[in-house]
Amino acid sequence: MKIHLKVWRQAGPTAHGQFVNYTAENVSPHMSFLEMLDVVNEGLIRKGQEAIAFDSDCREGICGTCGFMVSGIPHGPEPHTTVCQLHMRKFKDGDALTLEPWRSKGFPVLRDLIVDRSAFDRIIQAGGYTSVNTGGAQDANAILIGRDTAEAAMDSAACIGCGACVAACKNASAALFTSAKITHLSLLPQGQVERGTRVLNMVERMDMEGFGSCSNEGECEAVCPKGISLRNIATMNREYWKAILSS
Amino acid sequence: MTLDSKVPSGPLAEKWDSHKFASKLVNPANRRKHTVIIVGTGLAGASAASSLGELGYNVLSFCIQDSPRRAHSIAAQGGINAAKNYQNDGDSIYRLFYDTIKGGDYRAREANVYRLAQVSVNIIDQCVAQGVPFAREYGGQLDNRSFGGAQVSRTFYARGQTGQQLLLGAYQSMQRQVARGQVKQFPNREMLDLVLINGQARGIIVRNLVTGQLERYVADAVCLATGGYGTAYYLSTNAVGSNVTASWRAHKRGALFANPCFTQIHPTCIPVSGEDQSKLTLMSESLRNDGRVWVPKNTGDKRRAADIPESERDYYLERKYPSFGNLVPRDVASRNAKQVCDEGRGVGETGLAVYLDFKDAIQRLGHDVVAARYGNLFEMYEKITGEDPYTVPMRMYPAIHYAMGGLWVDYNLMSNVPGLHVLGEANFSDHGANRLGASALMQGLADGYFVIPYTLAHYIAGTKVEKVTTDHDAFKEAENSVQDRINKVLAVKGTKTPRELHRQLGRLLWDDVGMARNEAGLKKALATIPKLREEFWQNVAVPGDANNLNKNLEYAGRVADYLEFAELLALDALTRTESCGGHFREESQTPEGEAQRDDAHFSHVSAWEFQGVGKTPTLHKEPLVFEEVHPSQRSYK
Amino acid sequence: MRALRMLSSSVGTKVILAFTGLSLFGFLLVHLYGNLLAFLGPATYNEHAHALISNPLIIPAEIGLLALFLIHVFKATANYLNNRGARPDGYRMKKWAGGASRKSVGSSTMIWTGLATLLFVAVHLKTFKYGAVYTSVGAGGTEERDLYRLFVEVFQQPVWVISYVVSMILVGLHLRHGISSSMQSLGIMPDTRTALVLRTGLVLAVVIAGLFAILPVVVFFGLVR
Repeated sequence: MKIHLKVWRQAGPTAHGQFVNYTAENVSPHMSFLEMLDVVNEGLIRKGQEAIAFDSDCREGICGTCGFMVSGIPHGPEPHTTVCQLHMRKFKDGDALTLEPWRSKGFPVLRDLIVDRSAFDRIIQAGGYTSVNTGGAQDANAILIGRDTAEAAMDSAACIGCGACVAACKNASAALFTSAKITHLSLLPQGQVERGTRVLNMVERMDMEGFGSCSNEGECEAVCPKGISLRNIATMNREYWKAILSS
Repeated sequence: MTLDSKVPSGPLAEKWDSHKFASKLVNPANRRKHTVIIVGTGLAGASAASSLGELGYNVLSFCIQDSPRRAHSIAAQGGINAAKNYQNDGDSIYRLFYDTIKGGDYRAREANVYRLAQVSVNIIDQCVAQGVPFAREYGGQLDNRSFGGAQVSRTFYARGQTGQQLLLGAYQSMQRQVARGQVKQFPNREMLDLVLINGQARGIIVRNLVTGQLERYVADAVCLATGGYGTAYYLSTNAVGSNVTASWRAHKRGALFANPCFTQIHPTCIPVSGEDQSKLTLMSESLRNDGRVWVPKNTGDKRRAADIPESERDYYLERKYPSFGNLVPRDVASRNAKQVCDEGRGVGETGLAVYLDFKDAIQRLGHDVVAARYGNLFEMYEKITGEDPYTVPMRMYPAIHYAMGGLWVDYNLMSNVPGLHVLGEANFSDHGANRLGASALMQGLADGYFVIPYTLAHYIAGTKVEKVTTDHDAFKEAENSVQDRINKVLAVKGTKTPRELHRQLGRLLWDDVGMARNEAGLKKALATIPKLREEFWQNVAVPGDANNLNKNLEYAGRVADYLEFAELLALDALTRTESCGGHFREESQTPEGEAQRDDAHFSHVSAWEFQGVGKTPTLHKEPLVFEEVHPSQRSYK
Repeated sequence: MRALRMLSSSVGTKVILAFTGLSLFGFLLVHLYGNLLAFLGPATYNEHAHALISNPLIIPAEIGLLALFLIHVFKATANYLNNRGARPDGYRMKKWAGGASRKSVGSSTMIWTGLATLLFVAVHLKTFKYGAVYTSVGAGGTEERDLYRLFVEVFQQPVWVISYVVSMILVGLHLRHGISSSMQSLGIMPDTRTALVLRTGLVLAVVIAGLFAILPVVVFFGLVR
């Protein structure tokens, strides 16, 4: 197959960016989207040109490193799929695709399709943990946790921190990411001690990073590779006003 | 050089406790005066950073990813072993120790493995306290499963994302220390050299992967937790960014590299589909619990699976290993797959795959039960291959998965270079010649949470270090050598991409230093690698410059290191003329075609000392002494 | 003080928006009840209006309502501007994600349908509350304001009918997202009945806007006079 690409090229954080057209020839339907880009890049490098900068690592949809807009949708058109797991058989010969980086005040562009997502680390630093030091833990089975509770916590904990939720949201809100961690820990007995301060501090940090608020449209859930539910955001909101009332 | 493993004396079960007591301590008030560099933020690196930060040391943490949370530990699916014996099925610390040392084909240190089994129980407690959502029984207790043919259920898991959840637990603990100011994290940094002052590891040179600038960091000690070298083979289940560079540059500064030929091949991976494939995806070993492995009886049978009658199918694992059947260990399953494909009986377009068939399981258990057990794996398979495993048998082929070899360390996890500690997959220590399923996560966390806090304190308390800054000549020298190498790569301006060269190297290693190795192939590899390395330095294409984000430059540097490292890998494989664990020498097999160990000549760790690129490294041997267990021949018939 | 600051966070803002929005929605229901009395004739309609106007609690209630309304408008506008600032450099190409997304015309136009409603309310108050004062004698013999007459007069003019119907469509769009969204913002969206709440929100929006819009139409066509 032949795929026409319009790719955002931006030399650095402060550089002026623009779209550049490329054509990927002889694309096999078995290739992943990133492998297709690898081939395009090989061609550029052989011509002495700089490759399109995009980030990826595990290439099996779990590390959350990869991600950019494929024709207006984060990670492309396939639901529950990171762009590294998106395969070219989902496209047709002659398709024209537009590739853009995530765009958000909280995610400044570093180069081409790569953005700085360190804001997510700082949101976790604000309280996305249980304050237990290594060593003093009691026996793991001393606290019983119902199977459904553990499963629900796991649903929230499955977030890979790729940032697609922010990218999809019209407000560039980080509510889904932040709420997934808040929900995960608020469901479990281990997370109870810091439950109130956690939600207040993490939300404060999320706002400081320049992310917008949630409009409850659920575009984030629709593009989330792990299908993290909007229920997490409802939980965060509830936890939030409860924390205010009890503070 | 004599290799002192520093294994404490005394009975096996008491070694670690007495060693902890004998170790020196650093006064809580003094800890803030000491800085520790930790490179890598996987399970070992992140757990070490958080634990040392909690204790009060100043920790500097580096990773090549854009966030510590993305380290490749995150991709581990299956689970983590611990000798909790929650299932009352006869597990114990001793049994986990025994299984691990036997699974490693008696090529690991007894004392290290025993300690690993001991602290395994603390790991689970710690992770649960962090809020890791392990799978639970209806009564609220932790669920366990049997993994990789183990006779007891000791594997804890969080769906198929155990590595992710454990890593996020460690990462979150580490972020807590970042918030407290105890840990400073430096993402997007690649360690390119180790700085030695007075023979002690005192710092590192890193390249800031966003700005391209070289940076210097000084500390009292350096910990490497930089993972394995599986991507030397180009295609592997490792992340595409995983690399040997940090370990290799430390090796070039004097750290010994141990048992590099011990690489693990995972039998159930989605086969290669084309030339431009960048990565192989592992499918959980649990699939072999219900799936049946087969190939056509006749060579060159290109019919669709459904058109091949039962009588013309060869369920070769069930035929050859009637008692273990499809559940034989990883290395046995892998070698047999290669064998039938070499015979021309492989399936799929490339002929490099075997079927893993669920037809009988679906008939026996029903579609729903199979879906409940393997639904997410089937979905993942379909996403990648476009085929539906409920109707068409899966195609599987082995792939490089884990490196048991690594930098040599003593019982304290310190290399032969004073102050340089090596944790997790990056060290060679605990898995011998073959790692058991669900043991990698255990080792990474054991090293970081429960071993290094004690042994590093002992080093710091007992060592005098000179007060230096990054202006010291050793830093200048190291930075200059790093800069020279970068300049040299950029100056080539050739026509071959790093990926092409890497792919060539990978194919060479896979063919000749892969699942089955022989003298001729290894010699061929040893003759070819230097030529490939020469080609790299004459013809590699790296456009752009070093002063910004340049993925291709990063990649070229890693490939250059692989081209040096690969020679050591092949040499170690050539030197070890026995078969053991993941290392199968065709010259050394039993009459039935199984791996034949040679304890008389190879019951030792091979630790190699760098002598220069292209020069033969010096071999040092650390004899393995077995006081508790008696090495026996593995048999799975 | 800390609590106040927290209410101005992104989540706090949404909680306030949801709370004031739901309260205003409650007011709409009460208002709708009064409107529908028109079908029962002038006497019932005016009697209800009189009961409301003459109640001494009407002033504090109106002040409260105004406060809710102003907070809602102010918070929504500030929120909108802040959200725009969260993506200073927009996408050159952006598509609806489909699937689990709840995005709708209503959800995408909240600020505009909201501001249109603000304009509508101003005109609406001018036309009725502060419009021509007719009086009539009620059932009890007391003199009361004949709002019914004003209402019939206004909606005999096509321009008022059309602008009211259009306004109600806009209000309906606002409610279509607003009702269910406020459940989500307050965190009281039930986990297992989310689809039901979303559907109920849609049905309520259509029904309420439709019932509000139908009165001017029936008056215009002389079905109520």
